[in-house]
Amino acid sequence: MKKFINKPENIVAELLEGFALSHPDRIRLVGNNLVARALPKAKGKVGVVTLGGSGHEPGLSGFVGEGMLDISVPGEIFAAPGAPRCLEAIRLAEYGSGVLFIVLNHAGDVLSSNLTMEMAKREGLNVKMTLTHEDISGGTNPEDRRGLVGFLPVYKVAGAAAEEGQPLNACFEIAERMGRNMRTLAVAVQTATHPSTGQAIFDLPDDEMEIGMGQHGEAGTGRMKLKTADETAEIMLDMLLKDLGVKAGEELLVIVNGAGATTLMELFTLFRRVDQILKAKGIKLVRAKVGEFITTQEQAGFQLMIARMDKELIRLWDAPSNAPYFVVR
Amino acid sequence: MSECITKDEFGRMVAGAATEIRTKHVMLSELDCAAGDGDHGATMLRTMEKLEKAFAPGGSDDLKICLKDAGWSVLGVDGGASSSLLGVFFTGMADAVGNDLTEMFEAGLAALQKQTKARPGDKTMMDALVPAINALRSAANGGKSVREALYDAAAAARAGADATRNLQARYGRAKFLGEKTLGHADPGATSISFLFEGFYNGFTSVKGESNNA
Repeated sequence: MKKFINKPENIVAELLEGFALSHPDRIRLVGNNLVARALPKAKGKVGVVTLGGSGHEPGLSGFVGEGMLDISVPGEIFAAPGAPRCLEAIRLAEYGSGVLFIVLNHAGDVLSSNLTMEMAKREGLNVKMTLTHEDISGGTNPEDRRGLVGFLPVYKVAGAAAEEGQPLNACFEIAERMGRNMRTLAVAVQTATHPSTGQAIFDLPDDEMEIGMGQHGEAGTGRMKLKTADETAEIMLDMLLKDLGVKAGEELLVIVNGAGATTLMELFTLFRRVDQILKAKGIKLVRAKVGEFITTQEQAGFQLMIARMDKELIRLWDAPSNAPYFVVR
Repeated sequence: MSECITKDEFGRMVAGAATEIRTKHVMLSELDCAAGDGDHGATMLRTMEKLEKAFAPGGSDDLKICLKDAGWSVLGVDGGASSSLLGVFFTGMADAVGNDLTEMFEAGLAALQKQTKARPGDKTMMDALVPAINALRSAANGGKSVREALYDAAAAARAGADATRNLQARYGRAKFLGEKTLGHADPGATSISFLFEGFYNGFTSVKGESNNA
């Protein structure tokens, strides 16, 4: 393993320190290594909190900022934080109108957040939890679908709704509506190594790719010979459009998220083909993002996400944000 | 075995478990590489540190307080599902202090089963934990001593963990691997078997006593 780290057990604390120091005007660490906005939200607005393992930078703490998240609770490398720190974050993000708790569907995150919700209820805190689960490789049962890069539009639209003063129920409904209307599929061509253990997470021969690869490098289900960018985009987009049931004339947001070692050169090449296919089918591409929003170390591959948009979702997606890794002016 | 366990006895069990995990954590991480991300050993090490701290000399003499502290600090390990589940387990045990050891373990299991739908056969820690606690129950009903009961529990946990080799994961991250999980023991179940082996070793570690049941 060739990584610029110090002691393995200090990776998370040191990366958070560096992240906060590099954005002192927008981010600060509070309490037990919680990532919060430098300037807390105004009283009376809904707080927005999320949790998730580290090692996926800029996910998830890169999206803390005005117009998006209030606090993110980072866990250890690839591991969910426990309930105590999540509860601490929710207490801090209570500005008088309740807290929206956005959770990506992964076993550890769900367990921690369910425990957090029980404790929060006992304390009389007003919290609503929304689960993102849009990875179609998990099968048809929503419980089996993991939360991948779809967290990004959910943070964005729910965060914008909270920022403009919408009540908790409305923020929750917007997050759920965004969640219901999005689908993601991931593909990997090269493994990542766990930065603490130095061990490769899975084996993948040089000439193969695997569709359905998880965010933590969990090996996926569909392994095949490496295909061209166009062929890969076609296979994946076709599966996504079918699963979401997209019809001609509908409006889509598309995100191409690099896994860490896949270049922008490749991501743009893939996106170009996605755009061509959508045009040919008469589907409107209304918004798009190509880049790295959640990574898995030096894993190579990408996630392709599509989301059906409506007027309000587009408006909220376009609203301002000063989150370090998602600035909208 | 109907007598209540003391704080010192449980503290010895925890110390025994910590020793066991410290000796074998590399193997746990290796098992985790087969179907996970290879950090299970490190998570278990951090978990054992918290557990030992909760029972460290100079702390409370009240078993309930120690177990509550243990549960809360293990929840705070931030090591994904494994540490959260163990935190829930010790918190559940704390609520049953005052009952005998078997009842305490059963309360821990009941608390756990409220948080996860995983059951034996799903290739998770439940495959070792449920047989271990069933063994404690049988031993207690059969009038065996705590030491004998813990010996049976360790053997049952070990057998349960070994048998996960032939199971396909149906829970947690590893479920997405399907058949690829066959042939490797589940790291969570293996940890549980180490814990119970350590509980037995720790319980029997009093000077002058033999380690054989």
